[in-house]
Amino acid sequence: MGLLSRLSPAALRILALLVVLAIVILFFASQIEGYLNGRLFNRISSSVAIMALIATGQTLVILTRNIDLSVGSVVGFSAFATGSIITNHPDLNPLLLLLYAALVGTGFGIINGLLVAYARVPSIIVTLATMALFRSFLVEYSNAKSITSDSLPAWLTDFPNLPVFSIGALEFRAGFTASLLVVILVHLCLTRLRPARALFAVGSNPEAADMAGIDAKRVVFAAFALSGLMAGLAGFMFLARFGNITVVAGLGFELKSVASSVVGGVNIFGGSGSVIGAFLGAILVDLLETSLVRWAVVSEFWREAILGALILLAVATDTILSRRLTKLRTKKSKEAAQ
Amino acid sequence: MTLAPTLALRGISKNFGMTAALTDMTLELFPGEVHAIAGENGAGKSTMIKIMTGIHQPSSGVLDVDGEPVVLNGSKAARMRGIAAIYQEPMVFPDLDVTENIFISATSGLFLNRPAMRRAAKELIARIGMTLDVDRIASGLSLAEQQAVEIARALSQDVRVLIMDEPTASLSAHEASELRRIARALADDGVSVVYISHRLEEVFQLANRVSVIRDGKHISTKLITETDPQTLIAEMVGREVGNYFTKMPSTATSETLLSVQSLSVDGVFEDISFDIKRGEILAMAGLIGARRTDVALALFGMLKTSAGAVTYKGQPLKVTSSRQAIDAGIAYVSEDRRKLGLAMALPIRWNISLATLQKYLTPLGLINTSAEIATAWDYKKKLNIRTPNTDIAVGNLSGGNQQKVMLAKWLNMAPDLLIVDEPTRGIDVGAKAEVHALIRAFTAAGGTALVISSDLPEVLALGDRILVMREGRQMAILNHADASQESIMALATGQKDAA
Repeated sequence: MGLLSRLSPAALRILALLVVLAIVILFFASQIEGYLNGRLFNRISSSVAIMALIATGQTLVILTRNIDLSVGSVVGFSAFATGSIITNHPDLNPLLLLLYAALVGTGFGIINGLLVAYARVPSIIVTLATMALFRSFLVEYSNAKSITSDSLPAWLTDFPNLPVFSIGALEFRAGFTASLLVVILVHLCLTRLRPARALFAVGSNPEAADMAGIDAKRVVFAAFALSGLMAGLAGFMFLARFGNITVVAGLGFELKSVASSVVGGVNIFGGSGSVIGAFLGAILVDLLETSLVRWAVVSEFWREAILGALILLAVATDTILSRRLTKLRTKKSKEAAQ
Repeated sequence: MTLAPTLALRGISKNFGMTAALTDMTLELFPGEVHAIAGENGAGKSTMIKIMTGIHQPSSGVLDVDGEPVVLNGSKAARMRGIAAIYQEPMVFPDLDVTENIFISATSGLFLNRPAMRRAAKELIARIGMTLDVDRIASGLSLAEQQAVEIARALSQDVRVLIMDEPTASLSAHEASELRRIARALADDGVSVVYISHRLEEVFQLANRVSVIRDGKHISTKLITETDPQTLIAEMVGREVGNYFTKMPSTATSETLLSVQSLSVDGVFEDISFDIKRGEILAMAGLIGARRTDVALALFGMLKTSAGAVTYKGQPLKVTSSRQAIDAGIAYVSEDRRKLGLAMALPIRWNISLATLQKYLTPLGLINTSAEIATAWDYKKKLNIRTPNTDIAVGNLSGGNQQKVMLAKWLNMAPDLLIVDEPTRGIDVGAKAEVHALIRAFTAAGGTALVISSDLPEVLALGDRILVMREGRQMAILNHADASQESIMALATGQKDAA
C-alpha cells in the first residue's frame, strides 16, 4: 500500500490545501518582484496569529452545525477591556491579564451557548443579535475613548514580536508561535480526547447522537463557550499587536473566521473538518489579501472582488483535489484488498 | 421461567396530547429469550421502544429492571442499564469511521486509545460474522454494514436488552439469516432480544415468544409453538386478511414495451437482457449487492451505461437524466423513502404533485392549489392513505402510508413503465396487500411494472416473470409457474448456475 492509501480523508484535505497554498505562493512569486522574503512571512504570521485563534473557535462551533457571528465583537471587547485593565493597573501580572482576557471571552461565549443550546434559538439569529449587542457593550464601556499603545506596558507590546526561533529566513515570533501551539493543542484534543468525539457526532447526525446517549445541548454549549474563550485570547493578541484599540476593533472578523474555516475544509453543515485545516485556511485568506495589495496589476477597487473570486477558486480546487485523492485512495485500497 | 424479568413494562400508558399511543401496556422480557413483537405500523411499537430506551417517559405505569422499578430519563440512562436499540434506518455518524461509530457512546477514559479501539472494533465486527474495514468512513457503508456497526456498538456496551426494530427489512436473505444467527447467539449468551419484524416467517424461525400489540394495547403473548401465522395476522389486524401472497393472473399483452439487450455499466453490472410486455409485471429478485437497483437507475437515466441497447416503445431509448426518463414516461420509485423518495417535512399534497407540477400551473404560471388538493384527495381515497387531510407533513405518517404517498406521486404522472424498488420494505401486512393491489391495478389498466424486491413471497405474488440477479449478472428469467422460493434462492446465492 502506498502513502496515499494510508492517509485519512482529513489528512488528504490538508494535503490538498498545502498544494493550493504552494500554487498561490508560486503564482505571486512569479508576478511580484522580491515577493518571497522574511518580511512577507512576518506580515502574514503576525496577522494569522490573531485570526487562527478565532478560526479555531469558529471551527469548534461549525463542527456542531452552528455558527458564531459574534466573535468579532468579542475580540473587540476583550481587547478593549484587557487594555483598560492594564492601563489602570500597569503592574498586573501578565498571566492574570491573559486570564482576564480569556474570562471575558468565555463569558460572552457562555451567553451565546445558553441561548443556542438551552433556549433553542438558532445560532445564526442568536449570534447576529449578540454581535450587535456585544459591540454596543463595547461602545458603552469605552465611553467613546480609545486605548493607546503608549499607555500599555512595554512587555505587552513587545511580546508578539519577540523572536523565538527561525528556520532560514523565516523568523517565528512569539505571537505566532503561541497561536500555533494553541492550534496544535486544540487539534490534539479534538482527535485524541473522548469527549471531543461528541462534537463531531452531534454535527454529523444529531438524532443518532441523541440515541447514542450524547448530551447534545452540553456539547453545543461547550463549543460556544470555547469559541468565546478563543475570541477572548485573540482579543489579547489583538491588543498586544496593535496597541491602539477603538470601538471598531475586530470588526468583520466573524466573516473572515468563517471564510478561514470553510476554506480550510471545515464542512459548513457540521460533522467534519479540522482546526489545522482552519489554520491553513486563515493563512491562505491572509496570503491572498496581502499579496493582492502588492500586485500592481490589480486596482484597489477590484481587490475585494478578486479576493472573493480567489477564495471561491481555492475552495473549489481544494474540494476537487481532495475528492480526487479520496477516490484514488478508495480504488487503491480496493485493489489492495483483492 | 422463575427468574426475574430483565425488563418489564407494568401498565405503561403514553399520551401525546389527546392521543393515546399506548394504553396499559404490559410486557416481560426474560434473559435468554428472543421476544418478537408483532403489530401493524402505528400499533404503538415505536412508542414502546422509545419508552424502553428512555427517550419517552411513560404517562403512567412502571418500568422494572431486574424486578426493581426504575426511571429511565434519557437514552443514556437506558444504556447504563444495558438497554440498547437498533433500527431499520441505522443511526450512524456519516462523517466518522467504523471504529469511532462503534465507540461513540463509550464514556470511560479521557484519552482515546486508537489502536486498542481498532482492535476491539475488529473483534466486535468479527464476533457478528462480518468483514468490514474498521477505518472506513460510515457515509460509504451499505445499509447492512451500517446495521452491523450499530450491533457492534450495542455489543461494546454489555447490552442486556437488545431491541431490534425491523433489523432485516433492508437486508438481503443471506444477510438477514446472518442477523438472525447473531440475534440467537446473543440470546443464548443471556441477552433479552426484542425482535420486531414484519416478516412473519422469520418471527417463527427465531422467536421463543411473541407478543401482539394493536392500537396501543397488548393483545396477546404466546409461546411461538402455541400460535401460527394466520392467528398472528388475525390478531395484528383485528380481522381476517385474505392470503396476500396469492398470485393474480397476468395482464400482459403481446406488445413489447421495453427491450433491454446486453446492457452493462462498467464495474457494476454486465450483460443484462430482458423484455417487458405492456401490462406485465417483471419482478427482479436477488440479494443485496446483486445490483438490481443499478439496472433500474440505468433505465432511469441516472447511471451511464457502457454497453448494450435499450428499445422502448419500438425506439432506441436514450436518457441521460431523470428528467428525460420522466418525460419518456418512466417512473422510478426509490427504495430509500427518506433519502431519495419523499420530502419528509413537506405536506402530502406537495409531495404528490412534485414530479408533475407542470400539470398544476394556471395560465399565469402560478400553482393551481385547488387542482393540487383535488388530486391529493383523489389518491388519499384510492390508495387508502390514512391521514385527516393532505396538508400534513409526510414525515408524520406511518411507513406504509409514506410508501403510498410515494406511489401516488409517481402514479400521478401516469407512467408507461413504473419501476418500484422494494415497494413494501418495512411496512405492515395490511399496507403490503394494499400496495400489491395498487401495482396490479396499475398493470391491469395497461401500465407496465418492474418490481425489485428482496422479499421472496412478494416476488412470487407479483411477478409474472422473475429475473434473478447475482453480483451484477443475470442468472435466469423464470416463468411464474416454474419459480419457487427455493429455485430463486438457489440462483441468487449462486448454488445453481445460470441456465
